[in-house]
Amino acid sequence: MNKILRDELQSVFGAVRITTPENTRVIINAKKDTVLPLLRFLKEKGYQHLALISCVDWIEAQELEMVYILSAYLGSDHAFSDKEQTNVILKTRISRENPEFQTVIPVFQNAEPYERELHELYGIRFKNHPRLVPLFLDREYSIPPFRKDFDTRRYVKEVFDQVPFVEKEAEKV
Amino acid sequence: MDRNQLIKWLKAPAKMSHKYSLHAVYFCTGCGIIEVPPSITARWDAERFGVLPAASPRQSNLFLITGYVSVKTLKAIIRTYEQMPDPKFTVGFGSCPINGGMYWDSYNTIKHLDKYIPVDGWIAGCMPRPEAIFIGVTHLWTLIDKGMANGYQKYRDRYKYYRANQEQVLGTLDWPPLLPIGDGNE
Amino acid sequence: MRIVEILVSPLIALVVGILFLGISRKIMARIHWRYGPPLLQPVIDIIRLFSQRSVSHGTIFNLGIILSLAGSIVVVLFLPIGRICPFESAGGLLVILYLMLFGPLGIALSGGEAANPNTSIGISRKLLLAVGYEVPLLFILLAVMTRYDTISLIGIVQEQQNAGWSVVSLPLVLSGIAYLLILPAILGLRPFELVQAPQEIASGPMVEFGGQFLALATIQHAFVLFIGIALFVNLFLGGAGDPGTFVLKMLVVFLLSLFINAAFPRFRIEQALKYLWRWPTLFAFVGLVIVVLTGR
Repeated sequence: MNKILRDELQSVFGAVRITTPENTRVIINAKKDTVLPLLRFLKEKGYQHLALISCVDWIEAQELEMVYILSAYLGSDHAFSDKEQTNVILKTRISRENPEFQTVIPVFQNAEPYERELHELYGIRFKNHPRLVPLFLDREYSIPPFRKDFDTRRYVKEVFDQVPFVEKEAEKV
Repeated sequence: MDRNQLIKWLKAPAKMSHKYSLHAVYFCTGCGIIEVPPSITARWDAERFGVLPAASPRQSNLFLITGYVSVKTLKAIIRTYEQMPDPKFTVGFGSCPINGGMYWDSYNTIKHLDKYIPVDGWIAGCMPRPEAIFIGVTHLWTLIDKGMANGYQKYRDRYKYYRANQEQVLGTLDWPPLLPIGDGNE
Repeated sequence: MRIVEILVSPLIALVVGILFLGISRKIMARIHWRYGPPLLQPVIDIIRLFSQRSVSHGTIFNLGIILSLAGSIVVVLFLPIGRICPFESAGGLLVILYLMLFGPLGIALSGGEAANPNTSIGISRKLLLAVGYEVPLLFILLAVMTRYDTISLIGIVQEQQNAGWSVVSLPLVLSGIAYLLILPAILGLRPFELVQAPQEIASGPMVEFGGQFLALATIQHAFVLFIGIALFVNLFLGGAGDPGTFVLKMLVVFLLSLFINAAFPRFRIEQALKYLWRWPTLFAFVGLVIVVLTGR
């Protein structure tokens, strides 16, 4: 990421923290209410592809971290070559007790399935999402299954291991 | 074809033809399907054993389940299995259908496939190489010869228990029972 | 004597057709640099299918496949195989032309009863394809009939025994080329494999066929292979004096279409129709005009 964009970001959104762990990766930590303006700003600057929305469960801090990964499309002129190789990763933290967040569909249309997935696996409620219905899972879980306090081992013991082997069941009779 | 083979053909043509004409439904549930294209194309050529991918379950008699089985996939597997005409043989491919494999404490993967449908043979490994498929096929030949590949009969005999297991995991099934469920069909 | 011929003629067709199926699988395997299945693999498959429990979808499902098979057998009875031709006096290209429709029609009836979406796609493709190749086929048959002034296949074969093969005689060469161009469509081989298309619509009309129904459908396919090639051999390669030579000529033609089968991918239906109504139709039409102008 070039220096101009970084300065611009810091002048417009004062509270962001920008780190570059690698040449090709920029991490922007932001407050949760600046996420939508930030995404809109980055989209105007050429990062038009929302590659993924992910989530991390920080159980000690009682927070969920939303991760938006953006990248730029190939440009025809060489001025953009720096931008094309860079992934911009936007991180923000929301409360774990009351996981509610605004949807980014107004900025990126393709966020719909990602947000449905996060709703189903982490239990995050996205405000104004057009249809927040299950995407992959067929079963109902008391705790969303990707949260850290979901005990998969106990769940498997309670559900799948309770199913008997047919041979043993037939011998019983 | 030597003389022993000819005598076998004359004695039991049905059994022999099942041995040498295995038309398979490759059920691509997971990574195991990666091993199937090399095994049916020029490098390993499964067709010389009579193993051929079938276009639909009605035309097939071998059910190859390649990879982990999630709860949603299990529904499709049961329906496919029930659509295949008897006699049919099931082979679980890779360690995931055997006991869960690396998904043994996953929240959405059933661990033992043979609790829900009968399985005649297993090919263990993560992943098994295409050679293992052919060893599996030759083992299946011996099983058919000895009459031990009788999973489809087991499914008929113990349908009550299989159906109960399926309902325990999937909830109410939205298709009617294949066979009438009596009290004492054993 | 005629009764023996009625029994022997379909038997030859069946054996040759199934042998062709086996040969095609073996040769396709060799072209792919594979070892390939044994030559009698189709026979093993058919025995296996007959011994499997088969699921029926209703009376029309059972009757349709029998109608299709019976139609194909009747067509074979009208075809001269070497000297063997049970219905020579009643013969005629027009009868064959009409009876050839029974094969796809029976499969369509039977598949329609199964009510699978893939089936209806396959059937509509099959009927469209039939419309595609029947136009040039009619021109070709008209040209041959006008040239030899007869509608009897036996008569056509005898004329060729005296005057040489019609594919090398000048007025009919274009018709012969046109028939070769539509032959893959009649046989259902690769550039026109879109009716079955196992990777795309799960073998089309046959998707619900299992057990003995699929076995009967395979046998019907063997008959279709035999009829399509035998018609070409009779019309253009001068038939033959004995069944052996006849089968040899058929094998050569079949190998030719197999190589085309191995080399080409599959057409979409509109590409197939565009092709069929352009080059083969043009060749057949020009061939017909030449025959009419030159006379006998």
